[in-house]
Amino acid sequence: MTELSDDLLVAYVDGQLARKQTSAVEKVLEQDDVIARRVDALKDAHSRLEAAFEAILTGEEAEVAPPPAPPGPGFFVPWATAAKVGLAGTGLIAALVLAMAGYGWPLVMPQFAGDGSGAGDVEWTGSLPSSWQDEVVRAQTLLTRATLEVGLESQGNQDLVAFQLAQAIGPSLKLPDLAPQGFRFMRAQLLRAGDEPLAQLLFLGTSGAPLALYAKKGEGAAAPSFKSHGAIGSVAWSQDGIAYLLAGEADAGRLMKLAEAIRTEPRAEESAEPPYSLLPHTLAAPAPAQ
Amino acid sequence: MQAEEFHDSIRPGLITMLPRLKRFADLLVGAREEATALLRRSLHVMLAEEHRYQRGMALDLWAFGEIYRLWLSELRDHVNPMGHAKIEDARFARLFGEEDEEIDTVTAGFLGSLPPQQRLTLLLVYGERFDHIDAGRVLDVPADTIGARLVRITAAFADRLRSRGQATPSATIETLYPQGPELS
Repeated sequence: MTELSDDLLVAYVDGQLARKQTSAVEKVLEQDDVIARRVDALKDAHSRLEAAFEAILTGEEAEVAPPPAPPGPGFFVPWATAAKVGLAGTGLIAALVLAMAGYGWPLVMPQFAGDGSGAGDVEWTGSLPSSWQDEVVRAQTLLTRATLEVGLESQGNQDLVAFQLAQAIGPSLKLPDLAPQGFRFMRAQLLRAGDEPLAQLLFLGTSGAPLALYAKKGEGAAAPSFKSHGAIGSVAWSQDGIAYLLAGEADAGRLMKLAEAIRTEPRAEESAEPPYSLLPHTLAAPAPAQ
Repeated sequence: MQAEEFHDSIRPGLITMLPRLKRFADLLVGAREEATALLRRSLHVMLAEEHRYQRGMALDLWAFGEIYRLWLSELRDHVNPMGHAKIEDARFARLFGEEDEEIDTVTAGFLGSLPPQQRLTLLLVYGERFDHIDAGRVLDVPADTIGARLVRITAAFADRLRSRGQATPSATIETLYPQGPELS
């Protein structure tokens, strides 16, 4: 029997040998059944390891499908098709124009999470600049169930969405799970408020209009304050350097409860099982101490 | 084979290779949830300290190394690092497929019995097709160490497969994850 070390045989199986060495090993294999069986066993081990690694990758690819191309500025969350983006964008612009004509857009609102001293809805005087809060609350009136159900598909990869939003707004951004409150996450996108990114997360309940959570970079902390804008109510607050605005067709009590649920929900990296994540299933639960 | 992923800007590159990075983290920590958390923390660090990435360097090689170094750093902060690094067999097996899927439990069990660094050695060479030098750069060990690990681990796995093949059926199903020879 020829003595060949595992070092040499593993290198042979892994294709690490030079041509001459490979030929020499193959000659031995033709003549020595013991070595041949050893090589077969090593090949089996090698192939099973490769298959196991491929199985993990297949699972991850299924759940973390990357976008086909790097996202551009503005709406950088990838939609299903460019056509749908165009359709939705066209509809949104048309609706904005109608809203401006019909509602005397824009109205003046206090800050998202201001000091609470601001007045309620007031008429636009033309001397005060509109705030981004005004614009997003008004834009909320443009959303209907059909906006989500017909115009755009739900985004399949919430993990990637979460990652992208957190990159734009900040790592402390909360991406709440409102399922216990009866609202299902539908999609998210990044809008712009002036030069600043503005995240919009849309949820649907079992009935009624969408619920939207807006978030942008802010300063400090401020308690929730409710404002009514016709049929739309909003709750604004600041937390961990992020200014939030929750808006929807709901009364003050309902919206304040939802806001409180969001405020008290641990941030993704603090949560043992966050609602959705950068990658499959969970986002940022630190490994529990064992 | 050399690592080949090169990008001028790391963000789109990282997004493109997310599944591979996640697989790396999966095998490192042994459970999807913790791996997701580790990967997320790693990505934040990488993006926040993008300047440390040297243009022209293989991004996948750099990113794998960043994840590994963050994991190692966090592990050292634990009171009981060895205990913290232990994995649960059932959760580890889920990396290879869902409950209703057919999983190679023998291979999963063998990989689960290995220390994280040895699992990654196998992944980088057999899964990522890195050469020994690049794999060593990721894991901060010499290429010779990578080669030695491969021989030791692959030979041990081949032995286990052979022993299972020779055993009687009643002796092969007594446990899902039989402990193999010590591989330090």
